[in-house]
Amino acid sequence: MLIKYWPDRTKVPFMSFRVAGALFSMILIAASAFLLGTRGLNFGVDFAGGTVMELAKTDTVTVPAVREAMPINAEVNSARGTDGREIVVVKFGEAPPDLLGEDFKSLSEEQKAERASGATNELIVQTLSEKFGLSVENGDFLRNDSVGPKVSQELFTDGITALVVALAMMLVYIWFRFQWQFSVGAIAALAHDVIITLGMFALLRIEFNLTSIAALLTIIGYSMNDTVVVFDRIREDRRKYKKMPDREVIDMSLNVTLSRTLLTSGTTLISLFAIYFLGGPVLQGMSFALIFGIFIGTYSSIFIASALVLSLGMDFTRKTVEEVEGFTGV
Amino acid sequence: MLQFPPWKLGLIVLVLLWGALLAAPNVVNMSGAPGWMPKKGVNLGLDLQGGVYLMMEIQADEVVANRLDVLSRDVSSALTTPASDRIFNLPEVKGRELVVRLTRPDADGNFRTEDALKRLQKLNGPVGGVIGGAQMYEMRISGKDTITITVPQAAEEALLKEALGKTMTIVRRRVDPEGVSEISITPQGNSRIILEAPGEPDPQRLKDLLNRDGRMTFNIVDSSAAAIQAAQAGAVKPGYRLLYDDQDIPYLINNIPEIVGSDVANAAQSFDEQNRPQITFRLNGNGARKFYETTAKNTGKQFAIVLDDKVMSAPRIDEPIPGGNVRITGTFSQQEAIDLAAIIEAGEMPAKLQFLDQRTVSPTLGQDSINAGYTAALIGLAAVAVFMVLVYGVLGFFAVLSLACNIILIFAGLSGVGATLTLPGIAGIILTIGMAVDANVLVFERIREEQGEGRSPWTATQAGYERALSTIMDANITTLIAATILYLLGSGPVKGFAVTLSIGIVTSVFTAYVVTRMITVGYMKLIKPKRFGI
Repeated sequence: MLIKYWPDRTKVPFMSFRVAGALFSMILIAASAFLLGTRGLNFGVDFAGGTVMELAKTDTVTVPAVREAMPINAEVNSARGTDGREIVVVKFGEAPPDLLGEDFKSLSEEQKAERASGATNELIVQTLSEKFGLSVENGDFLRNDSVGPKVSQELFTDGITALVVALAMMLVYIWFRFQWQFSVGAIAALAHDVIITLGMFALLRIEFNLTSIAALLTIIGYSMNDTVVVFDRIREDRRKYKKMPDREVIDMSLNVTLSRTLLTSGTTLISLFAIYFLGGPVLQGMSFALIFGIFIGTYSSIFIASALVLSLGMDFTRKTVEEVEGFTGV
Repeated sequence: MLQFPPWKLGLIVLVLLWGALLAAPNVVNMSGAPGWMPKKGVNLGLDLQGGVYLMMEIQADEVVANRLDVLSRDVSSALTTPASDRIFNLPEVKGRELVVRLTRPDADGNFRTEDALKRLQKLNGPVGGVIGGAQMYEMRISGKDTITITVPQAAEEALLKEALGKTMTIVRRRVDPEGVSEISITPQGNSRIILEAPGEPDPQRLKDLLNRDGRMTFNIVDSSAAAIQAAQAGAVKPGYRLLYDDQDIPYLINNIPEIVGSDVANAAQSFDEQNRPQITFRLNGNGARKFYETTAKNTGKQFAIVLDDKVMSAPRIDEPIPGGNVRITGTFSQQEAIDLAAIIEAGEMPAKLQFLDQRTVSPTLGQDSINAGYTAALIGLAAVAVFMVLVYGVLGFFAVLSLACNIILIFAGLSGVGATLTLPGIAGIILTIGMAVDANVLVFERIREEQGEGRSPWTATQAGYERALSTIMDANITTLIAATILYLLGSGPVKGFAVTLSIGIVTSVFTAYVVTRMITVGYMKLIKPKRFGI
């Protein structure tokens, strides 16, 4: 080995800190719940509906000028584009009906509700094109996404469903492969990760959209990955050292897997930081969430998942599936 | 256990070669290669190549109302032939109901409301013409002199399905009349259509094309000045309506069309004698015959070509016209003429489309995203490689080799299953690069432990692979579960991410557990190291 990044035999008494860890997590969860309840998530157009447009910033197309030109209420902000150029991001909902022209007025109430989003989009494209000499054909509108209220509601429900179903399936798998105590520990850890990550989204006002759901599920997958590695080791050591108390077994397993945990998080973090700094604004939110998720996921497999297993107790007198038909001889 | 039998070795090498072949089109242009070789690289999502994404929905209410509207004409003729002594109001479509009201009281009992219902029942039939199937309409006497006709749920679903199929064909014909573009049109659920047009910068043109009903008719015109004046004053002649052309010239149009959209065989844009864009179209056999008869009967009168309640052209009939060739000249641009021809040829939409979700990415933004993702992936890869070699020495180097195989296999998988690479998908690949070494790390840590307990490289490696297996499987299966759920329940870019992640999990287990092991075993046989420097 060219570098020695970690001593071979560590003896960190992790489980002695489990009460402190539980307290710390409870504070974080309470804070997250509070933030989610008061501030709420900063929903992107995927879930909130409405329109978001991106324009390349030029001498004339600037944030104040665009803000000035907008005929309706809109959030106009500056952001950094994928290639480092500055862009102007315009976000708005539906325009009041009297701005949307004669054709729109003649529609029934129902049709109005359906078409308002699209009609507003047309109005804004037209206004900005006239004011700044922009053209859709030339690609001056870098991005123009309009999501109607019906779809945004569905996307949100689908996203939450995906999250809940994924959690449930993993719970079943862990139960099947280990014991119910492990299942409870793993799911508690995952719920912990999800709530605190959401709290962080609320705290920093990071836009919450479809990609964030993907990020959240990846965090769950990663955290689960980490937890399973630790659990696997605990199960093995528990059988190997029959006389040792649970607490010492768990501490030993955690210490042995520690170098692997650090290395894997390290390589993953390297990749994620590369995306964060070089991947452009679309991926920035996602990679930030993942970076955060790796820390919280690693923490939770020790202080939530393993600690809960210790509190609930293990029982390996019974044969488990692994022993009966484990993976061998691949 | 550690070594592979020769057939397995051969299989592993074959998989790697096959992967390299599938992934090749992403790097080199394969158009000159032999026919059996794959030529298509990974599909890029709209967020990467730019373009327009539209999600549309057919209005079920309108499909039902249109159906009842068509029925209402049949109702009129069914109640008047043979004539009865009970007159009725023109049947009205109200929401999802058709209400037929008999007005004169049933004086002599000759023609009761039940008799009217009996006549109307003849118009009813099973859905889709299937004998014994559910009935298309539900007809009932809803008052002393009233019959209400509704479409039951099963029939409505059948109608909606039929309308979705029709609409998809019409959408395809309108946006892609030549059938050459890469526009993809796919159904979603039973009432939605997703249109993806890569490279198209302007969603508005597509929306304008699709927003039109496309109802084209030829109607006889009453050109008497007095009648038009009266109509403009509000007294429209019964059986006629007042329509305008784009110069706001009024025309008094007979409500009953002579020729309808389905009589058109094809339509195209061409140029007239002054080289101005025009639309020419040909009627089919039935249409041409009807057109000849109409023009023979109405010689000297004017007829109007009406598209969506707008008069396109209103020529005078000088003589009967055989052959069924028609042209419309006007003041439109070439693009407008092309679009109008496509609309006329495609025919009438079964119902209006509602646009639910619309996304546009400019092509330049897409290219920037690809470049950024590429740089991030390269840097991530390089950093991971350096890290692995520094920590695990020669074994780390083997892990990096298998990581390279992994990336090739990911692209092979994406190209092979025809998956679409999206921006979050690129993030998925980069993440996989980071996580793929996990399986290697698990094994190497085990080898280090075993070696620490004094075992030889050979037994340590064997124990390392054996012991790490269940951990590797458990860890990856759980992630795979998350990815599968994401694919099944996610939409759009998230689906792309899920596909990349799933492929990445499978290939990384293969490369980390199998390919690295193969290389390591080969190394041990060749060099016979005393111990690993880990």
